[in-house]
Amino acid sequence: MTEAQLRASTASRIQAYAGAVIMVAVSTLIDLWIAPKWGTAAIDMVYLPAVLAAAALWGIGPGFVAGIAAALAYNFFFTEPVHTFRMNRVADVVTVVVLLIVALVTSKLASAIREQARLAAAHAARNATIAGFAGRLLSSSSESDIAETACNELQRLFDCNAMVVSGLPEPAILALAPPGNRLTPSDIAAAALTLESGEPAGRGTSRIQPAEWVFHAVRSSDAILAAAGLARDDGRAPIDDNQLALLTNLLDQLALALERARAEADRREVGSLRERDRLRSALLSSVGHDLRTPLTGIIGAAAELRRRGANDAPLVAAIEGEAAKLERYISNLLDMARIESGAVKLKMECVDLVDAVSAALKDMRSALSSREVLIDLARDLPLVRTDAQLLHHCLINLIDNADRHTGETGGIRIAAVEVEGEIRLTIEDEGPGLPVERERALDVFTRLEGSDRKGGAGLGLAIVKGFAEAIGAKVTGGNRKGSQGASFSLRFPKALVVPERVNAG
Amino acid sequence: MPAKPPKVLIVDDEPQIRVLLRATLARAGYVVAEASNAREALNAKAIDKPDLILLDLGLPDRDGLELVASLRGDPPSALIVVSARDQTEQKVAALDLGADDYVTKPFDTEELLARVRASLRQRLASESERQVVAAGPITIDLFARMVRREGREVHVTPKEWGLLAELAKHPGRVLTHETLLRTIWGPAHVDQTEYLRVAIRALRQKLEHEPSQPRLIVNEPGVGYRLIAT
Repeated sequence: MTEAQLRASTASRIQAYAGAVIMVAVSTLIDLWIAPKWGTAAIDMVYLPAVLAAAALWGIGPGFVAGIAAALAYNFFFTEPVHTFRMNRVADVVTVVVLLIVALVTSKLASAIREQARLAAAHAARNATIAGFAGRLLSSSSESDIAETACNELQRLFDCNAMVVSGLPEPAILALAPPGNRLTPSDIAAAALTLESGEPAGRGTSRIQPAEWVFHAVRSSDAILAAAGLARDDGRAPIDDNQLALLTNLLDQLALALERARAEADRREVGSLRERDRLRSALLSSVGHDLRTPLTGIIGAAAELRRRGANDAPLVAAIEGEAAKLERYISNLLDMARIESGAVKLKMECVDLVDAVSAALKDMRSALSSREVLIDLARDLPLVRTDAQLLHHCLINLIDNADRHTGETGGIRIAAVEVEGEIRLTIEDEGPGLPVERERALDVFTRLEGSDRKGGAGLGLAIVKGFAEAIGAKVTGGNRKGSQGASFSLRFPKALVVPERVNAG
Repeated sequence: MPAKPPKVLIVDDEPQIRVLLRATLARAGYVVAEASNAREALNAKAIDKPDLILLDLGLPDRDGLELVASLRGDPPSALIVVSARDQTEQKVAALDLGADDYVTKPFDTEELLARVRASLRQRLASESERQVVAAGPITIDLFARMVRREGREVHVTPKEWGLLAELAKHPGRVLTHETLLRTIWGPAHVDQTEYLRVAIRALRQKLEHEPSQPRLIVNEPGVGYRLIAT
């Protein structure tokens, strides 16, 4: 309470007591006028309205004063012996006691009613405050607008400084009222603690007391969305305990508004992502088309020249070989773009690795030409659940990798076995193998510089890794045991292995 | 080659591709017509009545997929999609719409010619030629419901026979997983690719020289199977 309010209330207290005494005085005057004419039988009753009125209007203090004053006046003026405070008759004693009891009971009742009315009014005011707060939040749509509005409202309602922070581990200020307040490291720690635990922290709480601000969590049903900070310039507690419930209600409204804003933002984000995705895949397919069409012409024309027995057979073979390489790079670029844009769509089905390996070898047959390829697939190998197209691209790249790193005369071995429920498809070459440190770090799957010897094909292993991860398989690389060469394995975990022979009838 | 050479219509908006296809097809003895967009293609279909159409999907005026049905029927033509779109969904969509086969650019001209021959084969084959299909050392007699390997009968289960017969009715052509599953196992099982894989594996064990390196029944990843007929 301010000093002015305090003064005003003292003045009204004094008025109340004076009023009580005056009412008793008036009643006494009336009695003095009645008594000589009609006797003193009804005298005591005349005091009752005064006591009732004083107790009802001004509460227990003035009521009690009125009761005592009435008793004293009655005793002094109307009981034998008159003009003394002594009483001889039992009836007069009862009258005095009754007047006091009436004063007590009435003032109690009246003050209870007044208290109820005050509570109802306070409740209504609080609801109006909450509704007004919610309404003002509703008119803001973005998260920062909502935080701004909430700060201004909190500042107005509690007459203190307010802020809204969010984000972990580094809480950032979404809004601040009045602007320009700075946060100390303790404040930041308190905000982070509240955002993390959902419990109040900072000044006046048991956690991080050196902070200047006290933070309260703004929580939805399943998450802590932000924290509201309150502080006063003079360092006093920004709110007292009986305002805590109101603050909690207000912060619930803030949580609803923030949740709504975030859902809205998410929706917009998804929409724009979808649009970007559409553009990207349109671009990709158009690049794929535009590059592949001329390549088709080159490859076809070279094949036609070869068939007609052109004089420069090695030159024609060079055109064909290089064009085929270019084709593979284009596929790899498109594949890489698909992985990086997250545009890989899976179509999981049961696949026989025999099918997968033979299809990959068929696509690679011109590149492999006369290279010896040893195929060692267990006869009763279980089926695996995978995306056939992605697996195909993985295998082509692994075979291409093995082919490029094996000398003119070396061979390639492709084997598949079931080990402890997992299926391992391994492709081994007879090349120089992987440098030791690279084998350990398994960074062969990232684009290799310099030493990834034969040019832009470094994408190949990255694509293998990307696609293998997409289908839930693991890919490992190392050196062959017992002989020279590198060995790469696609490992299908148990979950991807189709368990039993299916009865296909 | 039959007395009258088959007519092939090339539908592609790229002149260089048309030049290449024309040279390849002419060398193999086909009569060739060309169209560079959907409108010309529909006209040529009505006037030239081609036996086979090579259709590019990326046409300037319409998406080639929309044309598959109308170019295929009345009078019937074989149809092979030749496209730079290499996604399996595109291939399956084209095959489901009635295309006989799908070749991706850049293609191997010899392989393209093999597909052309396979697609025309049924159209031009006599009844008796259609009844007995040879694939390497294998003879499939659709009339007698019997398969022989190097002259000796091979026992197959009813489902395996159903699968083999379906492939043999369309020698050299790719049949999608869905088509095979629907025809042999019924529409309730179109997603059960494991049935198909197991039956194919069993057939290979019985028919292929080296089952882990199949030559007769080959697979198009994510699309389907084809029987390589000879």
